[in-house]
Amino acid sequence: MPRDIEAEVVVIGGGPAGMAAAHSAWEQGAKSVFLLEREKYLGGILNQCIHPGFGLQVFGEELTGPEYASRYIEKLGKTGVQVMTETAVLDLEPSRTIRTVCPRGVHEFHARSVILSMGCREKTRGMIMIPGTRPAGIYTAGLAQYLVNIEGYLPGRKVVILGSGDIGLIMARRLSLEGVTVEAVVEVRNSLSGLVRNYVQCLLDFDLPLLLSHTVTGIVGKERLEGVLVSQVDERWHPVPGTERFLECDTLLLSVGLIPENEISQKAGISLSPISRGPYVDETFATDVDGFYACGNVASVFDLVDYVTFVSQKAGEAAASHRPRGKVRFVLQVGVGTGLVIPQRIRNIEEGILFIRPSQGFRETQIIFRKRDEVFARKKTPICRPSEMIRIDIPSIPWPPEGGEVTIEITGNPIQGI
Amino acid sequence: MKKRYDVIILGGGVVGCAVAWYLSHFECSILVLEKELDVCCGISKANTGIIHSRSYYTPETMKGELHLRSLPWFHQAQDELDFHLARTGALTVALSPDDLAYLRLLQERGQCPEAEILGPKDTQELEPNISENMVAAYYDPQTAVISPFRLTLALAEGAVLNGVDFVFNVPVIDFHSDDRGIGIETETETDYYVAHWVVNSTGFSAPALAEKCGDGVPPLQAYRGEYYVLDKETRGYVKHVLYPVPTSLSKGILVSPTPEGNILVGPNFEPVKPGDTSTTVQGLAEVKIGAQKLVHHLPFDRTIQIFAGIRSVLPERDFHIFFSHRFSNIVHLCGIESPGLTASFGIAEYVGELLEKRGLNLVHKAHFNLRKNAPIFSECSWEERERLITQDPDWGRLVCRCEEVTLAEVKRALFVPPSARTIDGLKRRTRVTAGRCQGSFCEMHLLSTMIALLGFSENDIRKSGIHSHCLVGETREERESYATRH
Repeated sequence: MPRDIEAEVVVIGGGPAGMAAAHSAWEQGAKSVFLLEREKYLGGILNQCIHPGFGLQVFGEELTGPEYASRYIEKLGKTGVQVMTETAVLDLEPSRTIRTVCPRGVHEFHARSVILSMGCREKTRGMIMIPGTRPAGIYTAGLAQYLVNIEGYLPGRKVVILGSGDIGLIMARRLSLEGVTVEAVVEVRNSLSGLVRNYVQCLLDFDLPLLLSHTVTGIVGKERLEGVLVSQVDERWHPVPGTERFLECDTLLLSVGLIPENEISQKAGISLSPISRGPYVDETFATDVDGFYACGNVASVFDLVDYVTFVSQKAGEAAASHRPRGKVRFVLQVGVGTGLVIPQRIRNIEEGILFIRPSQGFRETQIIFRKRDEVFARKKTPICRPSEMIRIDIPSIPWPPEGGEVTIEITGNPIQGI
Repeated sequence: MKKRYDVIILGGGVVGCAVAWYLSHFECSILVLEKELDVCCGISKANTGIIHSRSYYTPETMKGELHLRSLPWFHQAQDELDFHLARTGALTVALSPDDLAYLRLLQERGQCPEAEILGPKDTQELEPNISENMVAAYYDPQTAVISPFRLTLALAEGAVLNGVDFVFNVPVIDFHSDDRGIGIETETETDYYVAHWVVNSTGFSAPALAEKCGDGVPPLQAYRGEYYVLDKETRGYVKHVLYPVPTSLSKGILVSPTPEGNILVGPNFEPVKPGDTSTTVQGLAEVKIGAQKLVHHLPFDRTIQIFAGIRSVLPERDFHIFFSHRFSNIVHLCGIESPGLTASFGIAEYVGELLEKRGLNLVHKAHFNLRKNAPIFSECSWEERERLITQDPDWGRLVCRCEEVTLAEVKRALFVPPSARTIDGLKRRTRVTAGRCQGSFCEMHLLSTMIALLGFSENDIRKSGIHSHCLVGETREERESYATRH
């Protein structure tokens, strides 16, 4: 393989986003599509998600993570997409020059379009600054999931899980099935972070305790974790004095949030939203730098892999079409009750979907679109939760003729508890 | 069985390793006995990693004398040890006109023609994010930052290349008079050592071991210092080591770039029980407030790790290096606190002189082996990377995405003695798990590599200490398939 490679589309990251993007770029007619994956296998985090619940929207049936991944691996096998595994991108330039290393050497790609699909990483103990010692036995939930499901190792016998995000809930069930005692799932919010179905299937069905409005305030143990201190928190998430108690455990799993992995994107000069921590994107998931697209969890953490597939198909098509981009017509901002909206930019109101994450749960929800003081659209939904993005077809919104800044607000009756 | 050496050094911290490496220049047999599983596991592992320049030495103390003696070694030893020193320079920041006298004192002590006291405008030019309350700063170009692990490892590897033996996981429990020297009894019955000369550089354990020799030492007080490590994304936000004007107790809370491109913030100075390296809400708050006095908008939201280090402090606030009364050939090193890292070469040279006085013959070896650092992939040019991968494809296998560490580097850490046997050992040698993901993407590859290459079982995977097991067993399916196979 030559050191310098001219490519029409280069996709960085071979998880669900990258696979879908590469596939649809090829289907759209791109002649040379490269899919670069750092690990030995395509599939990304799907490979360690051996539980079902994937694919209902994309494939119309319930699949496990590896099954979902293998569907796409098969689809890719029928295309001319060139897959390069064990290939790490170390450098990216605004001119769409990509430098990689792999066991075969160093390569330099010159791409007409680049699709970023590097996914996300987990927040760690250091980032959330839990005080105490630094013993063995503290894992992010995803790392523990890899150890158990891929390597076949048990990280501990008695576990506390901090954070009620989906990976945390799923690991509570997975470890219970292995005979591990799950002491508690501890959640700082007063409501669940993950999907309700995971609460039911992973905690209720296994009779595992969930402590809402609580957090871990200390780590105890010299060499291996011996226990954690757990405190109740007030509405500002500050520990309530006098409520601290010791929970004995040898393992702490952290499921406290995901951060899009955009260190490479920044090398290309792509600007990031402080809210999603991913690039600002439009309805085709084009970034603000010409020829760069960002799709899947690198743009914003999605709830379901099906959504990731959907937006990545969009990005793949757009990246392969190389059609000139129009001007940004609408810039979307989050207002009261809204935690996040993706895309944040709209060029063409004829296509795409808005994904909106409420900042808290509401019943009798109204989603309000406002341009300055004028409300131009209201959408209703009976119930919404931070764990489940609200989806609205962009063409279904009566956008005002003049572009501009639009604020999205959510109102309703707040939900407490689950 | 008794194992005999000319010199036995107790403790594989930076000082023990420096003594071992220094003495390995001479014709004598040397052993380093370390109670942990690796070098650099105690006081040496958690500090600010600064090579304090002449300006910051303490006159009329032993630590001051050895500090000054040590500084030239950071040039001289470069060829022999090939360690990486980043000469960032330092600014000591005056926040009130009262502080100016201290800046002048530093300038006087430094005797460095390029050092100068800068006004606010010039200081801001050098360090744009510095606090607006700053009235002046003393600029010292000679201050450098270093990775304390990598310095300790360079010394240890250099020592091994020149015939020094290292034995790990062997705590010393007592000393005896032996017909041919000093007998060292350890927790392991089979490991009994005899040496003519013994260097007790065991940090916190030094007074307890001195006690075993019947030598009284005033008790060491432990002081904990807490730190923040900021993401490499913040590289360049602070360019120099920033010192405050010190208190009577410590150098104060610093903000410092690291050689790898992170920003390190700390430490506070809190008396604690020995060995208490927990971080605390109060301590971290104190460090934050202290650092914000120097750099108002320091990006603490980019914190990737917090940790605490321990300093072992004698009441007189000086190093106490002395011969045992009962065993005349044992030298105890007590109270090696800041600037212990900076002074390590000076201490080693001084210990050499002391041993010489007690009969150790310092005859230079005819041949001395130079220690060469292996390439650090993340710092290599693209041409260099291409060349390395052609030699060995493992240079093209990235294990750690955050710090860009390759499988070839991990393998080297597992096989170049004294080699890594723990996850933290790999971290200190290669920086795997030290980046922003803190190992969530690479730890599984590290442990499977250790299992594959070292013949480890899952019970042999440890974070750092002998009891710090990372895994407790296999999953049901693995256990059952094992049962079916056998």
